[in-house]
Amino acid sequence: MDSFILNIVHRPEMVPEYAEKVTGQGKAEDIGRKALLTESLDIFKLQQAIAHRNGLKTTIQMTYASLFNDEAVAIAKDHRAKYGDEIALTLLGLPCKEFREKYKTKDFCIWMFSMEDKKSIVDDVFGKFRERFGFYPESTGSYYMDAALINYIKAKYPSVKCAVATCWEEGPKAYHTCNNSWYTLMDGGPWNPWIPSKQNTHAPAASEEEDSGIVAIPHLSRDLLACYDGNGSNFGTHPQNVLRGMIYKDGQYPYLYNLIDQYRHLAKFNRGYSYNMMFVGPGWMNKMGRWEAPYELLVKSYEDGMAYYGKLKKEGALRDLTMSEFADYYRANKTYAQPECALWKDILYGSEKQLFWYSDPYMRVGVSMDQGGAVFDLRPYVAKLDWPVGIGTKHVQDASYPFLIQEKYRAGYFTHYAGEGTIRSAKVRYGGEEVDLCLCRTKAKFSEEGNVRILTLDPVEIEFRDLTVKLQTRIIFEEGSSAIKFERRVLGMSDPGAEIEIEEYMVACYGTTEYPEDMTGIKLGIAGPESRELAYEYRCREESVAGATASYAIVPQVGTKVSLVPAQAGAGGDRAAACYVKEGYAFSPMFTLGMTKKLRNKEVFVSWLRLEKAS
Amino acid sequence: MAQAGKGKLNYRCPSCFMRDLDIDMFYDKDKKEYYCLRCQYTGTEEDVKAKNEMARFRYRRLLDRITDFD
Repeated sequence: MDSFILNIVHRPEMVPEYAEKVTGQGKAEDIGRKALLTESLDIFKLQQAIAHRNGLKTTIQMTYASLFNDEAVAIAKDHRAKYGDEIALTLLGLPCKEFREKYKTKDFCIWMFSMEDKKSIVDDVFGKFRERFGFYPESTGSYYMDAALINYIKAKYPSVKCAVATCWEEGPKAYHTCNNSWYTLMDGGPWNPWIPSKQNTHAPAASEEEDSGIVAIPHLSRDLLACYDGNGSNFGTHPQNVLRGMIYKDGQYPYLYNLIDQYRHLAKFNRGYSYNMMFVGPGWMNKMGRWEAPYELLVKSYEDGMAYYGKLKKEGALRDLTMSEFADYYRANKTYAQPECALWKDILYGSEKQLFWYSDPYMRVGVSMDQGGAVFDLRPYVAKLDWPVGIGTKHVQDASYPFLIQEKYRAGYFTHYAGEGTIRSAKVRYGGEEVDLCLCRTKAKFSEEGNVRILTLDPVEIEFRDLTVKLQTRIIFEEGSSAIKFERRVLGMSDPGAEIEIEEYMVACYGTTEYPEDMTGIKLGIAGPESRELAYEYRCREESVAGATASYAIVPQVGTKVSLVPAQAGAGGDRAAACYVKEGYAFSPMFTLGMTKKLRNKEVFVSWLRLEKAS
Repeated sequence: MAQAGKGKLNYRCPSCFMRDLDIDMFYDKDKKEYYCLRCQYTGTEEDVKAKNEMARFRYRRLLDRITDFD
């Protein structure tokens, strides 16, 4: 692979999200208003014209409402013939007079319906599509597509091979930003295209048996640093989202181009492949303007974004594909085990922070170089968690893939006064002093050796009262291993004869939101000749065994066993690693796994974080 | 006193924006001010614009075209 691929998606949404609620303020609700329909179609036509003017083809995702509109159908047919656009079908844009009369609901997010309604709506929409175009679509999508929905669609409409299936880190943060009124809770997925497993959309398939049969693409290409903390809807390849974030001045928004270019840069970590997706709903270009941005600026930003893509295409630096074309390309060029990697830097706030994101069929991991290589986010994809969503399930709205570590929702290194937050880091001790690598800001370089991806951090200096230690961390990901290898190497000491202690640790829990979950049922254990196990009861207990082979936690709520495993596990003598577990308490509903080891100058301590599916 | 409505542009509350909340404000034409339903902010259009400028303080690279991503 050696390509920057672009998918542009447009949808003729006859009743755009926001338009009725926001720009229709002061009018009684009427989603059949003629002015609304006309404006919506005009916006779609304008978006199409802008893309075509820049030599770019699109995927036209017909909405249910647009299938009742002869002009929208005619435009789609015409643009397919003239420009090579793909006519696809979205499960967004359901609201219209016909839908409301038939389904007697104002729900519009397909993943939130009951399974019975999902099937009925899918059959209805796909049937109507075939009636209008004479074939079934090859691409579909929504903001989120749950596994049961994808499996149903693939079984019944096998022509479908691509779908917009999640929006990266659109979850509680987006919910809060919308004054707790926007229920798209779907954190924890991949940021770039992937093949969803049959069991859980967010978790990539590890094999043909797990393959859902489609290639999933994210809704937008989002800033991998800004979206993790702030409102994700400000920081994506969506020009009007950039305006929403007020990331512009005097009609200029270099951030949009910086974001596109940083995505192009990801080719360096993914064997020459990089990707972008732009999908702007028509509500974002309505004549009334959108928040502080007047209509003219909304349109200008879209024109500028497309012009930049068009320029890249002319320079031979970009390939515009339709969604179904992309699915073919992706399957021809990616293996199940091949991870998605992103060494990402802050391009907006000037902090110079650097993160590394890794995603494969077994895990999604976030590593912060600003915290000495600490893992600040961990999703155990290995569990392929059965997580039905929608009415009639335990998760009506919450489609997020659960975390074991999430530093924003569960504190991370810094906590207030008491307790601990989720993070996987290390502490170094000498002479009664202790330094956590979370406070050692550094940078990393990426390299690849066969099927191994290596993150080599710049060495950090740890200053004790009587000793300075130069320590280097390497974090290593081997395809298919379901484990992360950590190496801590002592490069030098001001007193070469000194001995330090290093403590590798992981504070974790489970959840999908900011609020704590019940830890009852979790088992903590130490493996080895002298094994220990305790059931979580919030009693603040600790166990430690020298020469143990691993410390572990079994978290049945997320079907996961997580272990910290030292190298030369079980080796005897007083220099053997000791493994420990710590139970939390009500004010700190966490568990800690860890190990300690003495290190001398030039020595290295190797350990693994291993994830397994717990049945 | 007549009911409030939307102003000429759909301004959000700058105070809420700075805490990552997008809250549309309403316009009180008698007092000639925007006001927030959620927090206690009120202000003229000029004040809203000035506060929106302030909200951009965190974007230290707002106008930088970045070419080095290493």
